[in-house]
Amino acid sequence: MSIRILPGTDPEEALAAVRSAPGYFVTNTARDLSQSDFKNRILAHTDLLVAPEREAAGYFSLEITGGASVHVDMLRKQINPFERLERLRQLMPNTMFQTLCRGVNLFGYRPYPENVIRMTVREFAEYVDVWRVFDFLNHVPNMIPVFEEVREAGRLLEATVCFSTGPEHTDEFYVKKVGEILDVTGPDILLAVKNHSGLGTPGRIGQLVSSLLDAWPDLVIHYHGHNTDGNDVGRIVAAVSAGAKIVDAADHAMTGFFGPPPILTVLRMLADLGHEAQGINEDAVIAASDKLKRERPAYAAFESQFKGFDPTVHVHKLPGGAMGSSFEQAVKGGFLDRMPEILMSELPKVHRELGNFWSVTPGSQILWTTAVTHTLSGKRWVNASEDLKRLLLERYGPFPFYRPSDEIYEAVFGSEWKAVVASECGAEECAPVDMEAERKALEEALLRPASTRELVLYLQHPRDAVDFFRFEEEFGKTYVLPPSVWLREGGFGPEETVSFTDHTGKVHQVLFSASQTLADGGTLSYLYVDHHLEPFYFQPEAGEGKEVRRELSVKEIADLADLGEVRAAMAGVVSQVLVEKEQKVSEGDSLLVLEAMKMLNSLEAAVSGVVAEVAVTEGQAIRQGDLLIRIRPPRAKD
Amino acid sequence: MVRDNPVIEKVLVANRGEIAIRLCRAVQEEGLRAVAVYETPDAENRHLSIADEAVWIGPGPRKDYLDIDRIVMAAKRSGCQAVHPGYGFLAENPALAAACEDAGLVFVGPSAATIARLGDKTISRTLAAEAGLPVIPGSGILPPGQEGRRLAVEFARTHGFPVMLKAVAGGGGRGIRRVDDEQALADQIGLARAEAQSAFGDGRLYLEKGIVRPRHVEVQVLGDSHGNLIHMGARNCSIQRRHQKLVEVAPSLLAPEIEEAVCQAAVKYARYTGYVNAGTVEFLVDADNSFYFLEINTRLQVEHTVTETVTGIDIVRRMLRIASGRVLDVAQSDVACRGFAIEMRINAEDPKRDFAPDSGKTVAVYNSPGGPGIRLDGMVYQGYTIPAEYDSLLVKLTVYGFKWPEAVSRMARALRNFRIVGPKTTIPFYRALVAEPEFMSGSFDTGYLDRHPELFDYRDLEAQEERIAKLLAAIHHHGKNPYAF
Repeated sequence: MSIRILPGTDPEEALAAVRSAPGYFVTNTARDLSQSDFKNRILAHTDLLVAPEREAAGYFSLEITGGASVHVDMLRKQINPFERLERLRQLMPNTMFQTLCRGVNLFGYRPYPENVIRMTVREFAEYVDVWRVFDFLNHVPNMIPVFEEVREAGRLLEATVCFSTGPEHTDEFYVKKVGEILDVTGPDILLAVKNHSGLGTPGRIGQLVSSLLDAWPDLVIHYHGHNTDGNDVGRIVAAVSAGAKIVDAADHAMTGFFGPPPILTVLRMLADLGHEAQGINEDAVIAASDKLKRERPAYAAFESQFKGFDPTVHVHKLPGGAMGSSFEQAVKGGFLDRMPEILMSELPKVHRELGNFWSVTPGSQILWTTAVTHTLSGKRWVNASEDLKRLLLERYGPFPFYRPSDEIYEAVFGSEWKAVVASECGAEECAPVDMEAERKALEEALLRPASTRELVLYLQHPRDAVDFFRFEEEFGKTYVLPPSVWLREGGFGPEETVSFTDHTGKVHQVLFSASQTLADGGTLSYLYVDHHLEPFYFQPEAGEGKEVRRELSVKEIADLADLGEVRAAMAGVVSQVLVEKEQKVSEGDSLLVLEAMKMLNSLEAAVSGVVAEVAVTEGQAIRQGDLLIRIRPPRAKD
Repeated sequence: MVRDNPVIEKVLVANRGEIAIRLCRAVQEEGLRAVAVYETPDAENRHLSIADEAVWIGPGPRKDYLDIDRIVMAAKRSGCQAVHPGYGFLAENPALAAACEDAGLVFVGPSAATIARLGDKTISRTLAAEAGLPVIPGSGILPPGQEGRRLAVEFARTHGFPVMLKAVAGGGGRGIRRVDDEQALADQIGLARAEAQSAFGDGRLYLEKGIVRPRHVEVQVLGDSHGNLIHMGARNCSIQRRHQKLVEVAPSLLAPEIEEAVCQAAVKYARYTGYVNAGTVEFLVDADNSFYFLEINTRLQVEHTVTETVTGIDIVRRMLRIASGRVLDVAQSDVACRGFAIEMRINAEDPKRDFAPDSGKTVAVYNSPGGPGIRLDGMVYQGYTIPAEYDSLLVKLTVYGFKWPEAVSRMARALRNFRIVGPKTTIPFYRALVAEPEFMSGSFDTGYLDRHPELFDYRDLEAQEERIAKLLAAIHHHGKNPYAF
């Protein structure tokens, strides 16, 4: 028997079909797999390649957009997120697409006003049937505007409770929380239990699902987990056995360590227990992985530096989506040796001190950055990031269990912290965005009219959206290139030929020929494009052959800061410059605000003196180790 | 001097590029031999391979194509009986026609005397007025100094602003200034005089009444030495930049009775001046459809292709026959314009930079359109390097359509199918033009481009494979994809 809920089905009908189905459904969590195990780099080319097999596999839904993917589509894959969905929809007319939406933060990192939420949900709803909406504080008001828009668009709303462990995380708490959600949404929703770090034992998950169903027997529960400890299959089995109707898993050829577990294993386990997967064609599941196996090697550079499951996740609780990138930062930042300390000691400590909320975007970034800063600087709480301050001031919403201690507030905000909290604490008013002004700004940047969808993308990630639109104007639809070409390192071999089918279906061939260095230091690279020779000119790279760039370690950067040379500890963008040349500064004064790793960080003077040089401007992109500001410490005579 | 029917077997094609090829084709179709001339930079030009013989006339650039002695010598030495000048270079220089006559060569065009007389704007206007053609009110030559200024102001007060300040020796759109008020008039006269002196070696100026939203309409005429004289319908050349034509259309897009009146006026003028061979009588048509004689071009025009397309009559072959003294084989009643033709000049220019020539570039890809209703008059090929020394015309694209919208959509299709990779060209600009409603409606005038600056915001999209290839080159050059890491 095959039950298939088609895209565009009325939400009530879809829910009735799920409720009355004898078995359970599977969501192919391709987006989360890409984010957790491949640093979000799985290309549209690969998703399009296996679209026919995934379509035939009969999933409840394909989780293919949302989370960081909207941003990374533009930033690293140079594809319009809407166009990606459009192309996939053409090949997968019968599979519902699912997104992951960060409540009022949508697909970005900060709250959006209602008019932006409305426009964004409307535009994505053309392709997205299932909307998983969560908030890292499980603060229901942070999700309500999106709930409303999803309803308005006639799509399936999947309201979410984030799950974690610890003394506060009781069934009573979660039952009450789901009650709060249902009070707002009514009964016709899917309810996701979002286990983003893959915490708890199978027994714990089974018990939670049972408790929720005891309270609301008609509730359709969608269990989402990560396989970080290697045991998510166990949790899935427990969830389904307890009555969950939909579970998340992924194509086995691509499964790694921190994403969802293999679909096929889940199917086999549950079949043995008498649970029937609805609509699933196992041959198609296998065929998809047979194709994906051939693609995986091209993504090797983006797999975790460290292979293997990490059962210590029960201590540090990093979400699956942040595992790979955390290690990557540790390697780049030169603090890999400090990782055991960070993960096993400081991070769990910070997590408890800050209220044991759910470690998921943007909360997970705050916890991680704070723990890293504490460990590397040896000082706790004093160099608080802007986002940590926002958290403490409950800008994101109230703490779910308890507030951090007064000592933390004092360390972060100084002795006058009570006044700061009294005057600034609470949710921010999020004024509506002036859409016409934003559209005008975008059109001025592009020198052409902008579509509503382009505006939606621009409102989420202004700078990166504009960069992407310009890229697309220059290079066209490059998503037709396979990962072996897009992610190629070390150039192409002599006489190597790349053939590709462009987005209109025409086949082209590019043959790499000789390169020539010109008198100006530039390079002419010759390619045969569809059998005619074309030269491509590249300017000499800035400083090429002169300055050899060496990555500075965090320690070196800290030492330089003590001498008045303020350098960037990580790559990012200068968000604000707070001082000017010749200005007197004292130790601890804020110099500038950097945006890095989704966070705003204020950089403070490590020494007192006079600003001798401001080497950056607002909006400038910087690399790790770049000089930002130079402070001239007072000479002995001054 | 009485011309006997000269026997012509070989014709010297005294030009280069696309028009040289056009002339060679007609010469060869007439059963004659074509002799090309070339300067050194043109040694690989395609007109040489199409011609039957070629004569090197000097190192150039440009000066040898303009050297009458060398042209005449090339014709004599190669055994030509006739010289066809094409357009540009020496085509309207009466000295070449005279030198040919002196050397016993047939000049394919009107006599030297006709060229000299009609080439003088003042004389040609006087003749038009004598012949009863409406002429734009003009001032006559302005004397230098204060007196000239006084006469100019008086003229402007009589006829109203705007007025056009023109150089007697100007042409091809050069040496013309529009003046909108008395102060500007006083200021401009001195400048214009100095400019005309340095550009044409003749500082004489005159004034004309300015025409509001004028359409530039011209009539092709053909006359033989036996007194037969016909017109071949009119063309609309209103789409111009800085008074240089970019797009030409046949017929004129005027109401039929207006077009007929314009054509009759052109015939009247040609008859009055005893015109022999091919010529073009130019008019400006005002917003109220009144029309004024402008000038006559005593040569073949770039845009003759549109007239050939709608009439089906080869003008260049008729020029050769007329030159050899034969009776024109086309009666006025044989001339029927059917449908519409549009010609666009595909130039190696960057319209976004005020049509600056994009010379020095090599054509990497040249894929031209084909199929029904397409005519190409070109000289460019894959591997051709755009010379800085000569003009930037690569190819003329002429299309035919039975109805005007059909011609426009065919042009749009042809432009879409036209691919030239290497130099910047006017193609993407034309693609924007053919999609513009005022152009599509056929109601444009000479102010069209000034009114449509948005046409220059077109996106110069390369073909998909070129753009992806550019990215592949970047991945290769940098060792990894700068847009993926």
